[in-house]
Amino acid sequence: MNATRVLLQQRQPMIRFLGKRTTPSHIDHTPHAHPASPSGSLPESFAAYRQKAQQHGPLNQRSSFSSSGHIGGRPGASLGPVEPQSGVYFDRSELPARFQRLAWTQAEIEAVESGGASLFA
Amino acid sequence: MFRAAVPRARSLLPARPVPTSTFCAPNIYFQGRLRRGYASDSEEKDLVIIGGGVAGYVAAIKAGQAGLKVACIEKRGSLGGTCLNVGCIPSKSLLNNSHLYHQILHDTKQRGIEVEGVSVNLKQMMKAKETSVSGLTKGIEFLFKKNNVEYIKGTGAFQDEHTVAVNLIDGGETTVRAKNIFISTGSEATPFPGLTIDEKKVITSTGAIALQEVPKKMVVIGGGIIGLEMGSVWSRLGAEVTVVEFLGQIGGPGMDAEIAKMTQKMLTKQGMKFKLNTKVTAGDDSGEGVKVNVEAAKGGKEEVLDADVVLVAIGRRPYTAGLGLDNIGLETDERGRIVIDQEYRTKIPHIRAIGDVTFGPMLAHKAEEEAVAAVEYLTKGYGHVNYGAIPSVMYTHPEVAWVGQNEQELKAAGVKYKVGTFPFSANSRAKTNLDTEGIVKFISDANTDRILGIHIVGPNAGEMIAEGTLALEYGASSEGKADHSSNRLEKREADRAADVARTSHAHPTLSEAFKEAAMATYDKAIHY
Repeated sequence: MNATRVLLQQRQPMIRFLGKRTTPSHIDHTPHAHPASPSGSLPESFAAYRQKAQQHGPLNQRSSFSSSGHIGGRPGASLGPVEPQSGVYFDRSELPARFQRLAWTQAEIEAVESGGASLFA
Repeated sequence: MFRAAVPRARSLLPARPVPTSTFCAPNIYFQGRLRRGYASDSEEKDLVIIGGGVAGYVAAIKAGQAGLKVACIEKRGSLGGTCLNVGCIPSKSLLNNSHLYHQILHDTKQRGIEVEGVSVNLKQMMKAKETSVSGLTKGIEFLFKKNNVEYIKGTGAFQDEHTVAVNLIDGGETTVRAKNIFISTGSEATPFPGLTIDEKKVITSTGAIALQEVPKKMVVIGGGIIGLEMGSVWSRLGAEVTVVEFLGQIGGPGMDAEIAKMTQKMLTKQGMKFKLNTKVTAGDDSGEGVKVNVEAAKGGKEEVLDADVVLVAIGRRPYTAGLGLDNIGLETDERGRIVIDQEYRTKIPHIRAIGDVTFGPMLAHKAEEEAVAAVEYLTKGYGHVNYGAIPSVMYTHPEVAWVGQNEQELKAAGVKYKVGTFPFSANSRAKTNLDTEGIVKFISDANTDRILGIHIVGPNAGEMIAEGTLALEYGASSEGKADHSSNRLEKREADRAADVARTSHAHPTLSEAFKEAAMATYDKAIHY
């Protein structure tokens, strides 16, 4: 036993066990090149898309993952208002499709024009 | 009032052209595709995965376990992708069984086992292969049910950023909406220009596992892992196999040059022929057989090789045909790979790509790691794959396996390194098995002795590399502290290779060769 202890004092294994998996407290979620990417860089389109896109609040703001740790960990309200900044306006046609006006069908147009008579024609 | 009488949604449902521009939809035609109101016709999933291969099905199960509402779309009709259906699994069945046959023919006599009247029943061998495949693919279906994964059999294509249209195998169409979408559509064999693949005379790996009879002559274009494995199978079953490789070594660029040379010698001894530094200039499959014109890669005399079957194994390319990437404006790089960031996100952050369809080596176990990491990014905000510690295995006999960097890469990078090797001919278990071809080769950093690469050719190499991968993985976790021990006088043996060498390995086992090779990097092996 003592012999082992002497050996252990002299030798320090360099293997470092990873231990229990924990999520680091700070994670940078901004897009970087993938480690296996041959070019080592991201195309322009990544930044361009984020500049334009708004999804549950602006995409280029820091994600709430690091503080909450999981989906739904923070209420959506904490992301702040989705209203545009002052001086910036959304056009209805720029909103997601579900907020846009629906097109009239021919049947509906005819129904209005004929006072409903076309429904019974 | 008339809204009830004229259900607008129904009258509008037949799809008009889908707009190609994405986030905002100024296109007026897009409006008509939606019902009035916020609800869509089916519930929105948390995650939809396009492709039920190794990346896709693992992600689906992992997401199901995490409690996400998940659906997996697969068009093949069975899960598991190339690997389970026409790749790793069926080829390993054929490799194992053809090896048994080869061993009975050539090897059992010296072991004191005399077997008479040995012959190949190819039909039965294929049936055994199919039993293995169907057992495993059905197993995944069971796991899907167990983990509440919805399995949609059909071909998926992006309709918009959140909607995937599915052309169902059984007829009909459906759409699925999801908050997150994973693309894991995998890869396909790269065709050889000038040869039309019919999977009978001119085959890819898919045809190579389903030949109806043993060809007399087979030419393999490409001396990488797939070419050598399938070449081995048919060579053992009696075909005269010639491998044509453009590069100066077999096994592809990842294999260590010394190991590649040894492997080539062993395979040549088994009857395979090799033409290295040779390029295929043309092929003619119009006759009964196939003629392949080859010449030296740097130019030289042309030669015509006759073959009954030509296996095209020059590599694989990402498969995204029919996926509707244009509809959402996703681009691929010059090799057809979907461009992703460090969290597997495409430029559209809720759409991620994993597996063969994106960067990195096209290996099933790499796809599996990525699947788990990508789902963890989704559920926990953090995932991890160490691309420096992904093993490669070639299942010929003897097997070849490696992890980390090889000598030529280290030389090119100007890294100072030490090499320790140990031959299986000095290993007791290999001796008792009468299976002593091959070596274990450790490469470690000359200053810190941290393991940089491990290369094995020999019996059971594929299983043994797991220990090397583990050592490399843990080594990687302590980077920066690597030369911690060098401060201590004469305690330089306290290094990673020594960590392996100081670990007791059972006797007699093949893994003792692994231990002794580690010992040889900083000292001398005991038994050699």
